[in-house]
Amino acid sequence: MKFALLGDWKFRSALTGWGLGTLTVVFLVYQWMPILTLGLLSFAGPTGGTTFPMNGVSLHWYEELWKATVMNDFKPPLVRSSLLAAACAITTVVLSVMSAQAMRGKFRGNDWFFYLMLLGIMAPGILVGFGFAILMRLLDVELAWNTTTFLVQVSWTLPFGFLTMLAVFNRFDSRVEEAALTLGASRLTTFRRITLPLIMPGVIGAGLFGFSLSYDEYPRSMFTTGPDQTLPLAVMAQLDRQLTPEIYAIGTTTTVFSLIAVLLCTSALWAMRRSTAPRKA
Amino acid sequence: MSTIRVRSAASYWLAVPAAVWMLGVVVVPIALLAWVSLWGGRTFSPASPLTVDNYTKFFANKTYLQLALSTVGHTALLMVITGVLGYCIAYFLTMKVKSPAWRLILFLAFIVPFWTSTLIRGIAWVPFLGVNGVLNQALMFTGATRTPIEAFLYSVFGISMAQVSLYTMMAAGPVIYMLNAVAPQLREAAMTLKAPPLVVFWRIVFPLTLPGVVIGQVLVFLNVMADFATVATVGGNKHAMLSNLVLLFYEGSQHRAASVVAVLLMICMLIGVVAAMKVVDIRRLGADR
Repeated sequence: MKFALLGDWKFRSALTGWGLGTLTVVFLVYQWMPILTLGLLSFAGPTGGTTFPMNGVSLHWYEELWKATVMNDFKPPLVRSSLLAAACAITTVVLSVMSAQAMRGKFRGNDWFFYLMLLGIMAPGILVGFGFAILMRLLDVELAWNTTTFLVQVSWTLPFGFLTMLAVFNRFDSRVEEAALTLGASRLTTFRRITLPLIMPGVIGAGLFGFSLSYDEYPRSMFTTGPDQTLPLAVMAQLDRQLTPEIYAIGTTTTVFSLIAVLLCTSALWAMRRSTAPRKA
Repeated sequence: MSTIRVRSAASYWLAVPAAVWMLGVVVVPIALLAWVSLWGGRTFSPASPLTVDNYTKFFANKTYLQLALSTVGHTALLMVITGVLGYCIAYFLTMKVKSPAWRLILFLAFIVPFWTSTLIRGIAWVPFLGVNGVLNQALMFTGATRTPIEAFLYSVFGISMAQVSLYTMMAAGPVIYMLNAVAPQLREAAMTLKAPPLVVFWRIVFPLTLPGVVIGQVLVFLNVMADFATVATVGGNKHAMLSNLVLLFYEGSQHRAASVVAVLLMICMLIGVVAAMKVVDIRRLGADR
């Protein structure tokens, strides 16, 4: 009787496993299918439309993208977005390490500071962008991708980097710092030689957040970017004019670009974990 | 002892640049919106007299009120769908997949799209849902329908489909994090004491992962409420949510009306977040329990 019951449980557990597994796989297909369709359709023949049939396989739409001039030239926006993302990544890393280190010092009002950072994540981009645009208008500041857009985007990427660093420091063993300090190293040297190498995976994670969130940001940029558009804005403008496989080509390109960035960072993390893992004797 | 002294001046100064940045770019503009939404008069300037006319105008319009209600309803629906779906996926990935390699592969397949552009992922649904789209072609091929269904693209149905694919990750991510922290001994102890699996789940596992569920729901709530981009791309110009109204008014240079909607949106979100904070203490996440 007892064993029969146990067998029944095992059977039911396996059944739940299969049910949930099927659901997961179905969702993964559901999640990836549009992205893959987009990629496939971007290789449509010159007469191919925005859906199937593709009418042949070609690089026609990528060529168009490369040759495009003025109106739908995606090259300058791509350069702008990349530069902006790099700047946001660097700023995010520096500021998030500084502010997470500050949180360790438990300064007065640190809980308010924490909620202030959280607000950056919670406040919707459309409100921050709109509000900032109005503020700039009242202050008579001209909008531009490398000034106002940069300021607004960092307010979005910084909290993610900050939370990453906070999680890293929450698990940080400060006894290693203590050892260095007891042996006479200054606080700055200890931070540079001991703390920084140990928190490096978090630093890379913060940088990745900074880069990819800025690179893909649309609502905040929409209100605060001047006449020179960033990539998501250019894509949206093109979509408003006409849906062509060219949009699929640019979409596929930026998606591959993002995937490469993620891949580079994960492999860097992996290599680092290996190099800092305790060696077997 | 650590590299930073507790309550030192240094710790204070290290936080100042980030605090100033966030105040100037997030807090001041939103406070400004609240102020602008009260401006009366004919000219758009800080000298305007303060009035609640802009709000009464908004609330007097039935269409806008309906839009606000439908936005909240749509968001609630998406929270339920992504919540259930996300929990199932999170449970499967953490509890049911035994092989570490498979777990990593499935996990990456699940979260990697999060690092690509939401805008592009929204646009990717367009060729999928259209009259000649992949979905209709598949349905006609299998004989499920003879004529293509037009209701997929530019409809709330299409918007929901796209948003489920965009935001389930957000509902599942925090749950995965919490499930990983549930000690296996707890479940074993309950099993040894002959609790049936469903009771173990409901009385032990679920309460322990509740903070993750709540945070995931907050993320989905905030994102769907403010997601005008997917509504614009997949919904065309035929559908609008509260956040699209901000854009609409802004493009029509009706800055005061846009501010009113923005303030209402912000109030909705604050209510949601404060309610969630009552359930969980976000600050303790990541700390050793």
